[in-house]
Amino acid sequence: MLRVALLALVFAVAPARADEPKPPPEQIEFFENKVRPVLVKHCYECHSAESKKLKGELRLDTRAGVHAGGSSGPAVVPGKPAESLLIKSVKHAAGVEPMPPKEKLSAEAIADLEAWVKMGAPDPRTGDAGTRKIDIEKGKQFWSFKPVTRPNVPRTKFATANAIDAFVRSKLEAQNLSPSPRADKRVLIRRVTFDLIGLPPTPEEIDAFVTDDSPRAFEKVVDRLLASTHYGERWGRHWMDVIRYADTAGDNSDYPIPQNYRFRNWIIDAFNADLPFNEFVRQQIAGDLLPAKDEADRRAKLIATGYIANTKRFGSYEDDRYPWHLTYEDQIDNLGRAFLGVTMGCCRCHDHKFDPLTQADYYALYGFFSSTRYPRPGIELDKVQRDFVPLASAAEVAAFEKERKAKQDELDARVKARTTEWRAAEKELTALDAKKDSPDHKEQVAALNKRIEELKRQQRAAQAESEKHAKQPVPFETAYAVAEGKTAGKHRVGNARMQLKGDPERLGAEVPRRFPEVLGASKLPEGTEGSGRLHLANWLADARNPLTARVFVNRVWHWQFGRGIVRTASNFGALGEPPTHPELLDWLASEFVSHNWSVKHLHRLIVLSHTYQQSSADNEAALKRDAGNALWWRFDRRRLDAESVRDALLATSGALDRVPGGPHPFPEAKTWNFTQHHPFKAVYETNKRSVYLMTQRFARHPFLALFDGADTNASTERRITSTTPLQALYLMNDPFVHAQAKALAARVQKDADTDAARVRRAYELLFARTPTADEVTAATAYVEKLRAKLSAQAAWESLARALYMSNEFVYLD
Amino acid sequence: MTNQHPTRRFALRSALAGSALFPALLSELIAAEDPLAPKKPHFAPKAKRVIWLFSTGGVSQMDTFDPKPKLFAADGKTLGVGGGLSLEKRPLLKPRWAFKPGGKCGTEVSDLFPHLREKMDDVCLVRSMSTDNNEHFQATLAIHTGSFFAARPSIGSWLSYGLGTANRNLPSFVVIAPHLPYAGTQVFANDFLPAYHQGTRVLPGKEPVPNVKPQKATAELQELELGFADALNKKHLAARATDTDLAARVRTFETAYRMQTEAPEAFDVSKESDDTLSLYGVTRGDTESYGWQCLIARRLAERGVRFVEIIDSSSSNNWDSHADMGAHEPLAKMIDKPIAGLLTDLKQRGMLDDTLVVWTTEFGRTPGQDGAKGRGHHPACFSSWLAGGGTKPGIAYGKTDDIASTVAEDKVHVHDFHATILHLLGIDHEKLTYRHAGRDYRLTDVYGNVVKGLLK
Repeated sequence: MLRVALLALVFAVAPARADEPKPPPEQIEFFENKVRPVLVKHCYECHSAESKKLKGELRLDTRAGVHAGGSSGPAVVPGKPAESLLIKSVKHAAGVEPMPPKEKLSAEAIADLEAWVKMGAPDPRTGDAGTRKIDIEKGKQFWSFKPVTRPNVPRTKFATANAIDAFVRSKLEAQNLSPSPRADKRVLIRRVTFDLIGLPPTPEEIDAFVTDDSPRAFEKVVDRLLASTHYGERWGRHWMDVIRYADTAGDNSDYPIPQNYRFRNWIIDAFNADLPFNEFVRQQIAGDLLPAKDEADRRAKLIATGYIANTKRFGSYEDDRYPWHLTYEDQIDNLGRAFLGVTMGCCRCHDHKFDPLTQADYYALYGFFSSTRYPRPGIELDKVQRDFVPLASAAEVAAFEKERKAKQDELDARVKARTTEWRAAEKELTALDAKKDSPDHKEQVAALNKRIEELKRQQRAAQAESEKHAKQPVPFETAYAVAEGKTAGKHRVGNARMQLKGDPERLGAEVPRRFPEVLGASKLPEGTEGSGRLHLANWLADARNPLTARVFVNRVWHWQFGRGIVRTASNFGALGEPPTHPELLDWLASEFVSHNWSVKHLHRLIVLSHTYQQSSADNEAALKRDAGNALWWRFDRRRLDAESVRDALLATSGALDRVPGGPHPFPEAKTWNFTQHHPFKAVYETNKRSVYLMTQRFARHPFLALFDGADTNASTERRITSTTPLQALYLMNDPFVHAQAKALAARVQKDADTDAARVRRAYELLFARTPTADEVTAATAYVEKLRAKLSAQAAWESLARALYMSNEFVYLD
Repeated sequence: MTNQHPTRRFALRSALAGSALFPALLSELIAAEDPLAPKKPHFAPKAKRVIWLFSTGGVSQMDTFDPKPKLFAADGKTLGVGGGLSLEKRPLLKPRWAFKPGGKCGTEVSDLFPHLREKMDDVCLVRSMSTDNNEHFQATLAIHTGSFFAARPSIGSWLSYGLGTANRNLPSFVVIAPHLPYAGTQVFANDFLPAYHQGTRVLPGKEPVPNVKPQKATAELQELELGFADALNKKHLAARATDTDLAARVRTFETAYRMQTEAPEAFDVSKESDDTLSLYGVTRGDTESYGWQCLIARRLAERGVRFVEIIDSSSSNNWDSHADMGAHEPLAKMIDKPIAGLLTDLKQRGMLDDTLVVWTTEFGRTPGQDGAKGRGHHPACFSSWLAGGGTKPGIAYGKTDDIASTVAEDKVHVHDFHATILHLLGIDHEKLTYRHAGRDYRLTDVYGNVVKGLLK
């Protein structure tokens, strides 16, 4: 209830206007006699202050309301009945909603309304337009739009050196609760290894940690993990969830984008290199517009704009019918969620219903993207790649283009010359017709025809060569990346116009490109040429922007703990959840920014806290007070995500190919003939880590679909964990699992000499712990029993399958 | 079912008994075990389950269920809407097949569906369907999910989520699809709903449910392996007694094990009588034909599966008859008798009263010609039908104009169609919501009205 009350504060009523001239008395009389009664009788039910529910945001009981209009635009254009929505809709004209909805007005009433509009719609009524307008200043008072602060670290009864622990403990102490004890070392190394690199710890790594009694033992593990190249594969995948990464375009035929792996690898490399997060943001939005140290840096920054390029494509058309407004909507929606934690998709059609975000904010952002040249990956009605960005120096590209043009000009000239020769010969033939009397006419015609045939052949050959040259792909590697838009033509760089009710056919006023008002409304400097994307990038990455750092540190917390300080990681608006520990969130955000936006610094802060290292065991008293663990009195147990399950199967069996992935084995571009009737569809098997699996927009990889992988169509802020019999059937019967069991069986037999040692090896590989004596006995007895009838390998395989099916394998304490 | 694996069943119970910590958690645990347990609808339902028959590619309304005598007369004379994606004007094309009245109600159906025509007394025909997009992909997505562009949960997933299912040894939502339609698996995806509710695609023939057959070489060992894993889980669970997810996962292995037996039995028609087989036009030994698929749909419905969908053809070889309407004939022949047989069989078994059968396509076809003898895509109007499950039998609802180019009366938009189907299952389409990405989503988005005229 309190929430609702607060929301109401955000909205206020638009001020009335008192500066309108008074209409002459005879016009007022006409209005009072002919117009007002019709409006009262037929319109006020839905379009007045008395309406139970105001329809179409339109009020017809005030002059201001009539002129301001509703969500479809002004109701009247004074003096022009034919252009007035009010008149069109009472006349049931095509393309407008017929009004009143139930019964058409009498011809007389319609004529009166027309006459009234024609005389300029004189209207003595006062009062405001009465529709809600968002109050931006009040909106800025909402917690997430306020500047990030640096709260003091609270003092707690138990002194603690780690600020995170102090914030968490102070809340626990207020509830008379205390944190759980530190988790067992084996639990801890399994937890942090899956968390930071997405793989299980090896028995050797476990042993090194368990036997290391130094106070820095855990820190050493953390540093080793953060330095591993597998770290980027794990954390890059998290970011890929948020930006709905895919290797295909999502149009009706789901065209492949073979080059997009470069952007995937750029994300992975960026995490590995601990690229400061503000720079990570900047490069994805405007890498092509940033200065570069050298050629390699320039290429990397071009590839980074794959973030924009990788926006969804729709439909089958390439020409003017391509629905760009949908691609930009997907772009703005994702930009809002991923970087700012706000939902902006709804602003395509109307102001946000709950957050201080307006439709104008939406079209202010729209202009940046409509001013950008997106690569086109191929689509049903134009099956080739266009506007991909060459990964070569500007000089090389220019030199190539110059040479290509010179060659093209030469070939075109040859076509022209051959055409001229051929035409001339045809003319000669016509001329010959007039000289039929000539004795050798027949021979002459035959000879000439022969020549014409030859010239025709030559012309066709020249034409073919010219066309072939024109279609030649650029001899450079390319990236699925963006560039600045065109400066001329229908789609050119500039501000966008509002689209009434989100309809791209119904354009409203132009909106200057700027940042959302509630975030400061930063505007492009005077004389900005080009798309202005670099400014957008800088606003997003600005430390003064209250959302970017808050949203990202919360995501990191969410991925490390299984849920965020704000539970709705991509919605920091009024419909999201407020933070459970607002001071902690701000402290983390400010700490993050002041440490040069270092993600690895943030990880160290978190994993070295006691809060992170707590046991996940039950505690009766704490469960009674805080069953949902909102105060973090323990670590939440969780199931491994889809990639970790698959990677753990491969890693434990020894089959994992740890070499980073490159391009996918897509069919060659020249063979592409995908349509909505025969869309592209493929699953490429690999023993590489799951982050390298080909990701189709249309359909998830069967394994990832089964184990709750990311939504490939939309931003995934958190993975759900479903538990289904089909998952059980997969682990029971799928050939992939059986293959891993086979490899694991061979591995433990090779690695150890006795049955007991083999069982211990298997438990360490899969569960990161030593089996108890009872467990060793049970497992060796199981193997022995089977070995009496089957081969040793078959017996160990059977045990391996059983272990892979256990809860302990897929759950993290 | 009760004689299966008392050890595993017992394992779960004893683990519970060991966790005397919080007795109240017991009921929570049972609920967590069974996320697909039947749920109460919003009001008393007429239908308890749905069999959804989808014909891919755009079935012509004027050649099947919407007789247009004036279009016969106007052949080639006037300009009408034609073309595929182009919507240009083309000469009118007369329907290829004659219409005759069927049943006591006398609803006219073309010679493409002679068997189905005889069932019209049980059918609630809608001749005024309408959709918003003339591309297969978008329209196919919309008729399944209510969404034209963005992927959203399928109607089957919504019903699984809203109502649960009566048989936990089979999936709640089964899709029998030898080939994928336009928009692929998106048409039966759970999307943002939990994965329990995704359509499980069944391939007629060898292995209907993925991984339901144990690997041959090790099949005999499976019980032992499950037993060993169960012992491990029991120990693991004992130290983590309040974690319902762990217990739920143990339960999925029990269910999966039983599915290995129950699912193949559900797909085995060998015990059906010759009379029944012949109703569907199935010859003994057949495990693939459309008739077999319809018979399987009945068997699954009988066993408590909430939503069964059959997709009759793929995204390439289907009802999309641009060049020649003659291409409708083999497809109609393939589905006519089996569907009529399904209606007869359901009725004989008393299942038609609470089983809703739906037949639909994604859009209609143009009155004007496209290729020489074909028709283009036409979203403005098309025909679909419902049967059983509380629908009004023996009626033809709605009208199109003289050449079937627009809806003339009682338009039923895709959203209205969905709202009505949910209503028949006891669900208020405005109240069946799921919170996702900060918003409550519905199958019908912000649209849809229950079409009262279709209700009994």
